Amino acid sequence: MTNITLTVNGKSVSRDIPDETLLSEFLREHLRLTGTHVGCDTSQCGACVVHVDGKAAKSCTTLAVALDGAQVTTIEGLANGDLHPMQEAFTEHHGLQCGFCTPGMIMASVDIVNRYKAEGRTLTEKAIRHELEGNICRCTGYHNIVKAVESAAAKM
Amino acid sequence: MTLYRPDSLDSALSLLGKGGMTVLAGGTDVYPGLRDGAPPAHLLDISGIAGLRGIARAGGQWRIGAATTWTDVIRADLPPLFDGLKLAAREVGSVQIQNSGTVAGNLCNASPAADGVPVLMALDALVEVQGPGGSRQVPLTDFIAGPRAVALDPGELVTAVLIPDGPGQGAFLKLGARRYLVISIAMVGAVIATRSGRIDRARVAVGSCGPVARRLTGVETALTGAAPGDVARLVAAADLPELAPIDDVRATATYRNDAARTLIARAILMAMEAPHVA
Ligand SMILES: Cc1cc2nc3c(=O)[nH]c(=O)nc-3n(C[C@H](O)[C@H](O)[C@H](O)COP(=O)(O)OP(=O)(O)OC[C@H]3O[C@@H](n4cnc5c(N)ncnc54)[C@H](O)[C@@H]3O)c2cc1C
Ligand code: FES
Ligand code: FES
Repeated sequence: MTNITLTVNGKSVSRDIPDETLLSEFLREHLRLTGTHVGCDTSQCGACVVHVDGKAAKSCTTLAVALDGAQVTTIEGLANGDLHPMQEAFTEHHGLQCGFCTPGMIMASVDIVNRYKAEGRTLTEKAIRHELEGNICRCTGYHNIVKAVESAAAKM
Repeated sequence: MTLYRPDSLDSALSLLGKGGMTVLAGGTDVYPGLRDGAPPAHLLDISGIAGLRGIARAGGQWRIGAATTWTDVIRADLPPLFDGLKLAAREVGSVQIQNSGTVAGNLCNASPAADGVPVLMALDALVEVQGPGGSRQVPLTDFIAGPRAVALDPGELVTAVLIPDGPGQGAFLKLGARRYLVISIAMVGAVIATRSGRIDRARVAVGSCGPVARRLTGVETALTGAAPGDVARLVAAADLPELAPIDDVRATATYRNDAARTLIARAILMAMEAPHVA
């Protein structure tokens, strides 16, 4: 057991947790933030992507204890009163069907756009597809997801 | 389970010396393995150790610290010798995997399908190991002792991967059942040094076509003096005793043999082209 303090979606949380607790488990089981989905539990599908200190991370591939002091943002923390432009774009462009992959897709996509903006690079359709390699969707065939990211990138 | 996060190499080595530790770098092999059984009792996270991350050149040798990630490799300013390593870096899983996964972890995990192994074999990489007996350097070909087995004694840690500097340009090609996020059916690393358009020295290694990746020394010798136009013919005619693929869920042995030969010729030609990696 180790005591950790994290800032999750802007709020400080402190818990005693077993060292083997994965961040995904910590968010879902300990904080009941079930927007972060667990699809594969083996780092492949990307359903569990959250932001750790502003960078996209697979929460099933991170021990919560190793993140003591970190800032974590989950899908629940993205909207700020109004939906985030990425959430709006996914709605507008039908970037989801069952929605299982969507929290991870949105968190990964926000990270992609932020990163490209910060580095002054243009985000092409090809780059979006490449950058989303780590997020698997069983339903949509990706076209509308890519459209949504392109459209949100123009507004963010 | 207890997680240890030392910030110095000395404290990491003394913790390791106590025994029962599983080393954790990026965790991209360790975490998926956690579901296979009881978690290891003690995990030693080496990612926070000062001085273990980064790529530097000193005394005719390149040093890739053990905590260096694949993304660090992609972003580093490196000569054409490393073009193959950069291409391999982009093929390891997806962006998130490259952000966490380390080059050294890929070697220590010693999967027969590890993309880093053939590329680094073609670069004549040495593995720097530190432990109770001090520091030693092991050629990568000896370090990989078998599938999922490496020449590490208890209490030892890999601290860096060392690559002799020299002429030549690298290339890497990987064949999978789909384009991205895929385990290799076969992959080839090549480093070619040319003189007046002909091969001066060829270094070629193949992975996923046997229990461990192998250097193809016969082909390397046969290629000396070859012009680009000779490569396909020489490779097609070569005896390749190092290839010993198996039938598995990903491909049959016959397919692997055929595909590997094609990849070998393509990778060699690619390593002879004008620089191609951005
Ligand atoms: C979704 C997914 C896709 C993947 N795709 C690919 C792919 O396409 N190609 C590929 O080659 N690999 C792939 N991998 C495997 C993995 O990402 C790589 O092997 C990676 O380089 C491992 O590095 P790591 O730092 O994460 O290792 P870790 O998981 O931290 O460690 C791996 C092993 O090495 C040991 N170890 C690590 N560092 C040291 C050290 N310094 N000294 C001693 N022992 C050490 C650990 O104890 C463990 O046994 C994939 C993994 C996932 C989850
Ligand atoms: S649940 Fe984390 S990547 Fe699939
Ligand atoms: S919308 Fe169903 S998995 Fe992507």
